[in-house]
Amino acid sequence: MKQTLRNPWVYVIMVVPTLVLYSLFFIYPMATSSYYAFTDWNGLSDYSFIGLQNFIDVFSDKDFLHAIRNNMLFIVFSVFVQVPLIIIFALLIASVKRLQRLYKTTVFIPSILSTSVIGILWGFVLHPNIGPINKMLSFFGIEPVFWLADSKWALPSVLIVNAWQWMGFYIVLILAAILALPKEMNEAAEIDGASGFQRAWYLTVPLIKPIISVVVMLSIAGAMRVVDIVLVMTKGGPVGATEVMASYLVNEALGVNPNYGLGTAISLIIFVFALLLTAIYQRTFGRTED
Amino acid sequence: MNTIKKISPHIILLIYVIVVLFPFVFVLFSSLKQSNIEIAESPFGFPKSFSFQNYIDAWVKAKINVYFLNSVYLATTSALTGVLLSAATAYALVRMKFVKVSKAIYQFVLIGMLIPGNVLFIAQYILVMNMGILNTHWALYLPYTAGALPISVLLIAAFMKSIPNELEEAAIVDGLGAFKLFYKIILPLTLPALVTVFIVNFLGSWNEYLLANFFISKDELKTLPTGMVGFRDAFQTNYALISTGIVYSVTPVLILYAFLQEKIIEGVTAGSVKG
Repeated sequence: MKQTLRNPWVYVIMVVPTLVLYSLFFIYPMATSSYYAFTDWNGLSDYSFIGLQNFIDVFSDKDFLHAIRNNMLFIVFSVFVQVPLIIIFALLIASVKRLQRLYKTTVFIPSILSTSVIGILWGFVLHPNIGPINKMLSFFGIEPVFWLADSKWALPSVLIVNAWQWMGFYIVLILAAILALPKEMNEAAEIDGASGFQRAWYLTVPLIKPIISVVVMLSIAGAMRVVDIVLVMTKGGPVGATEVMASYLVNEALGVNPNYGLGTAISLIIFVFALLLTAIYQRTFGRTED
Repeated sequence: MNTIKKISPHIILLIYVIVVLFPFVFVLFSSLKQSNIEIAESPFGFPKSFSFQNYIDAWVKAKINVYFLNSVYLATTSALTGVLLSAATAYALVRMKFVKVSKAIYQFVLIGMLIPGNVLFIAQYILVMNMGILNTHWALYLPYTAGALPISVLLIAAFMKSIPNELEEAAIVDGLGAFKLFYKIILPLTLPALVTVFIVNFLGSWNEYLLANFFISKDELKTLPTGMVGFRDAFQTNYALISTGIVYSVTPVLILYAFLQEKIIEGVTAGSVKG
């Protein structure tokens, strides 16, 4: 009887298409990336092996170092501004009974939409002349701000739009963890006279530490590979003010003079950076004491 | 005192809800206005008279219809292929009796979840170019389908594991072969997981920008995310029309979301946490 489930032909037919497609678009590109990163290939057939030259070039380019700095600002902003807000909003949503579902489903909306459309949408909202933000500010007598064209404001604007898009997603993640906690403890603490704030800070937050840790790591990973929102809103400009590693990669590798060797080198750098940062986080702050 | 305590979280949360919804309302209003002047005069105001002309103009003249159909078609086919392939693979790995091989294959597929998509971007570009499919829909269909496989196999396999053996045994006694067992018994039982995975994959392809931007340059093949950017750059001065484009690309997702919120939230969050 078990023979039916031991039919090797059926097994092969079911597994092979997936494996072929997966290997072709995941494993093979990963392998070629690690190879091309050490060449000067620019899309033409002739190329030579140049060792670590791509990496040296990239790290001695001021623009790239600036892009790394911007990625770090994305991380700092998401970990130290977004995450605390995310936790507060999740606690607030968990604390109410009425409208809880409405809050949850509404805050989640931006995270299912296309980043490119969100970039266009916010480009309009932040438009210097007809955008509603400046209209609102002019009401208080503030001169129009060129949010995306002024190098002082461009990065903060992109950071905020990025936060607007993703916060709801993480709020829902944390909310689910809070709602899954047993109710009894909270009720006992309430009877003992603990205030809402005390219960949240001393009871709920310690209990949801593991999921907060996941959110921090997802934020770091997200901040390392952020690119769509930058390309759509500012293309890395004005004068590199919002350039991040991945947009630098796109602009350098697929620009007017394509340089695939350099591009793959940068993508490896992003990959290694992301792995390192999450590893460091896990070793230090991400430890959950058991 | 007590009422203040009860109401204050709602006030903060309602402000947040307004911050989330405000850009959409603004864009919806703007799409019904006649010109930039009307938008600039009262950005928060209700349109003076509903002007649906933008909707007609954007749909045909600005080729939103082309981008829209390309997106529908690509997202549907790649999500469907991804679900079918991963369901078949998950079935073979979880239900069929090749335990050792299956374990190895499963681990191998999961490696894919460690590799963030845009790390492979350049190498995939080269691959697609060498395959001679750059600037065709294949250049997106194949990576989209492949990109969804690891997480889909993981989610569907987890679900299939929970199906009791008895059902399968009874079916085998009745003389069903391995294929029939798959599509007559297991597949229908796995439907909830398949729907979740389909939605996640569909949204992923519907929203994808980076590959779509660099693998496709022919205007008539573009999808909504890239088509919309081109559209914005072309009509930079006509914000009413751009708003209409945004409404067109956001509405289908919102309608889907209205019906399937729980499924979508469950799927999208499960996809990330396990990944």
